[in-house]
Amino acid sequence: MTSVLQKHVATPDDRPDDLDRSAELRREARKRSLVKAAVFHVLVLAVAAVILYPALWMLMSSLKPSNEIVGNISLIPENASFANFTKALGGIGGVSFWTFFGNSLFLAVMSVIGVILSATITAYAFARIEFPGRKVWFSLMIATLLLPFHVVIIPQYIMFNELGLVNTFVPLLIGKFLAAEAFFVFLMVQFMRNLPRELDEAARIDGAGHVRIFRSIMLPLMKPPVMTASIFAFIWSWNDFFGPLLYLKKPDLFSLPVALRIYVDQTTTSDYGAQMAMAVLALVPVLLFFIIFQRFIVEGVSTQGLKG
Amino acid sequence: MSIKRSALKGIAVAAVASFALTACGGGGSEAAPSETLNTEEDVTIVFNWWGNDDRADKYEEAIDLFEKEYPNITVQTGFQAWDDYWSSRNTEAAGSSLPDVMQMDLSYLRQYGSTNQLLNLDGQIGTALDVDGLDSSLLDAGKLDGSQYGIATSSNTLAMFYNPDLLEQVGVEPLDPDYTWDDLNTFITDVSAAGASMDPVIYGSVDYTGTFWFFLQWLVQQGIEPFTEDGQLNFTREDMAEWLNTAEPIRTPVDATYPIARGTQLLPLGGFTVNETASEMSWDNFLAGYSADSGSDNLQMLPIPSNADGEKKMFLKPSMLLSASANSEHPAAAATLIDFLINDPEVGRIFGTSKGVPAVQAQRDAMVLEEGSVDARVVAYEESVAEFATEAAPLPVQGFGTIEAEFKRLGEEFAYRNITVDQFVDQWFSEAEMSVGQG
Amino acid sequence: MSLTAEATGNRTAPPTKGSQARRSRRAAETRAGYAFLTPWLLGFVLLTAGPMLASLYLAFTNYNLFSAPEWIGFDNFTRMFSDPQYLQSVKVTSIYVLVGTPIKLAAALAVAMLLNTKRRGQGAYRSIFYAPSLIGASVSIAIVWKAMFIDDGVVDQIGQVFGREPGGWVGNPSMTMPMMVLLTVWQFGAPMVIFLAGLKQVPNELYEAAEMDGAGSVRKFLRITLPMLSPVLFFNLLLETIHSFQIFGSAFIISGGTGGPAGSTLFYTLYLYRRGFVDFQMGYAAAMAWVLVLVVGIITFIFFKTSKSWVHYSGETK
Repeated sequence: MTSVLQKHVATPDDRPDDLDRSAELRREARKRSLVKAAVFHVLVLAVAAVILYPALWMLMSSLKPSNEIVGNISLIPENASFANFTKALGGIGGVSFWTFFGNSLFLAVMSVIGVILSATITAYAFARIEFPGRKVWFSLMIATLLLPFHVVIIPQYIMFNELGLVNTFVPLLIGKFLAAEAFFVFLMVQFMRNLPRELDEAARIDGAGHVRIFRSIMLPLMKPPVMTASIFAFIWSWNDFFGPLLYLKKPDLFSLPVALRIYVDQTTTSDYGAQMAMAVLALVPVLLFFIIFQRFIVEGVSTQGLKG
Repeated sequence: MSIKRSALKGIAVAAVASFALTACGGGGSEAAPSETLNTEEDVTIVFNWWGNDDRADKYEEAIDLFEKEYPNITVQTGFQAWDDYWSSRNTEAAGSSLPDVMQMDLSYLRQYGSTNQLLNLDGQIGTALDVDGLDSSLLDAGKLDGSQYGIATSSNTLAMFYNPDLLEQVGVEPLDPDYTWDDLNTFITDVSAAGASMDPVIYGSVDYTGTFWFFLQWLVQQGIEPFTEDGQLNFTREDMAEWLNTAEPIRTPVDATYPIARGTQLLPLGGFTVNETASEMSWDNFLAGYSADSGSDNLQMLPIPSNADGEKKMFLKPSMLLSASANSEHPAAAATLIDFLINDPEVGRIFGTSKGVPAVQAQRDAMVLEEGSVDARVVAYEESVAEFATEAAPLPVQGFGTIEAEFKRLGEEFAYRNITVDQFVDQWFSEAEMSVGQG
Repeated sequence: MSLTAEATGNRTAPPTKGSQARRSRRAAETRAGYAFLTPWLLGFVLLTAGPMLASLYLAFTNYNLFSAPEWIGFDNFTRMFSDPQYLQSVKVTSIYVLVGTPIKLAAALAVAMLLNTKRRGQGAYRSIFYAPSLIGASVSIAIVWKAMFIDDGVVDQIGQVFGREPGGWVGNPSMTMPMMVLLTVWQFGAPMVIFLAGLKQVPNELYEAAEMDGAGSVRKFLRITLPMLSPVLFFNLLLETIHSFQIFGSAFIISGGTGGPAGSTLFYTLYLYRRGFVDFQMGYAAAMAWVLVLVVGIITFIFFKTSKSWVHYSGETK
């Protein structure tokens, strides 16, 4: 390197050679980085293709007649049609697909509402109010993140059964309204902790009580975690299987995952085409959410993980 | 500190509340009084059944007819798959809130009947409920300790199905009606040997010892009553081991049984319904499903194998029953629905033999029995084996569902050769000790 | 409104009155705190703490929903350890956790490192890899997975190209675990995204300095990347481990609720569900639940204790 420098300081007639040399070096460097870029993209695309294959296979299979599905590696349907979807939309035993869809939608939307209401309020208490026992309760809440749910489901079931609430949506929603999912509270608390306290104090001086501070100052600033929480609450509720399996017994109350499972369990046929179609239909909202909000979701997950 | 203490107190209160709620066990109740149907009063009753969407469509049709005839009764329907159905009923039973009318299976009759969950239908018989059309032995099958807790809607019995087209392909003759268990083993081995070179490979049958009801039938054939009057097991480990070993000839020296790995993946279909096994033992009313799934309308039925004395000793059992809840607020309306479903000829026509051969003659007559149709063939089969159906159906014990499922699970483990016959028997009996006659 | 008075009182009143005001302010804060906390407290007591205590009690009974619980002492626990299905469920779940989690995290880390560039499309790739995490545990994907892994299915065909014996994985008790592990590894996107964020936080100067000292890729990875990532690694490892203990939906759908074939997909949660909600042997199921809590608790404790020796919180985090 020093020799090049020296060369540069040297006589003027060396310059044309240097220019050529460095131009050549630059060209080689560009080529190398192009090759590197190509390798990168090929590699990543290869992995991405493998990752995406099952989802694409599901999508493409739903357009094929049943007998063309099982062994078929190729994604291209020979006889593409929407017949499977028509069948899937026909529902099960007199209960239409849209009923299942509507149930899932209701559960998901109510879950989002419940989570936002309860998690923000709870987070405010943990993040912004000093009161005795706060640390203890907070630790307990964090501990529930690590608690396997098995240890609560049986008594919960017994309790809801005694109250006659099995076969209603109540058991599935009540936890959302009581901040039972610590993940969301944690998300809000972390965010709130980063909001400057001066805002609170200014409001306090102006005579605002906690309720007003919460409503007028905190909430408007909470859009990012509220969005993240809403998206995850929606998706997790939409995909939830265990809860509906336990508590929804009447076909007209079934959510999509439970209906889908009945569809697969039919004792007469294994109609793969219709199964694939219904599987696709059941995932459409999740995929839609993802496509629209993907930047946001991924950002939300990565920042949340860092603070953990 | 005081906050912590009051919080702890709160938790304790909640915990006690949970205990209290859990400790409130199922409520017992007496046989309902004979209440007559008030045709002026509008009532709503709940009716649940298990089955697939085909059965659901049929029931909806039948219920529509019922509601036309009894406009003051509205029926709220619901249905589930078998497993979920019994899970739900169990939960409801605990809360004493079973549906007004429900489809009942023999395997659970004792469990629900003896825990006072089912309405004693004696109070309704003769008024809302007319059971004259039923064969007395079928009617008796729904009784517990002399009282009526379920009414058989239809009957079924075991049959040996076979696919003559497949047999022709492999060049093996069908069995004669008076064949024995040994003959069956030979038949299966022959078919599997002949079918080994085909594509797809054809087998004689699955390992038939893996189904609990077949074991019970075999016990009856040996002159052993499977269960005692007071709901306990009446057979020994040796009996079970002997049964499992009857199929030894089809396992060694050559394994002629349908590969379990394939069978598992085909669920809910099986080797027989994908035309890869030539025979299958099952309930006779499965002909409809088998024909539809396999696509063959040429499936034939034989009675089950004879024992060493040449006797079949088959039994006719209720394929399913209808029961009412002991806590129903409208026992007369519930009984009316049951009466309609078992007696109305139109209902007979709607269901055909999909649930079994209808128990009441009027319904049998109303079935459209086209020559060669599934319904006709099932009815013909049952008539042909009537002479063999000399025994009474065993009344399953409490916990039957669990031990039946355990038998099936062990059958699967055995088919994968993960356990031996002795291990099978040991595990099953330990499960049975825990589940039979509890509660 | 009283707060205003207290607030002004705090600033202008003489000391004695001030401490009184402070105390009443503290009381008001306490009230407010608990007021805001009420929903969570209610939920905690009714849905978490209460049920936990109740199930602890039930674990020592033979409750079956029909009749009142009857105390049987440790019978449920002794039964567990001679119950072949229970032991099978422990074995199946352990293999899944011990094999699946490391592979999943290794894949997540590898792809995160691959994507840790400033190249174009990185954001899109990140999203593509993340997508399976959102749908992976759903019933829909379980159905698709089963359809892909059965006899003559897609995986079977591909396997035959590579010389494997024909035969699907679903009906083969020794191949169902690889199938389930593949399903969880497929969802590596979520931990990957977190690793990626962690990687971005590693200051480039560290790598440059190491390069000047002549360190190769392996040394850079071991001496810089891993230690800097250790908090994130810890987080991911702990959560993934606990999460994988609780697998239920996929196994339920693929095995049709049985945990078969031959118990090869009888995960702990599935067996617990069968015992508790199909057989209604709820005392037994409650005992199983508590054993799981204990095991997870011990594992968590070990994680935290050992973390001190390998998790490297450098000054700049947070």
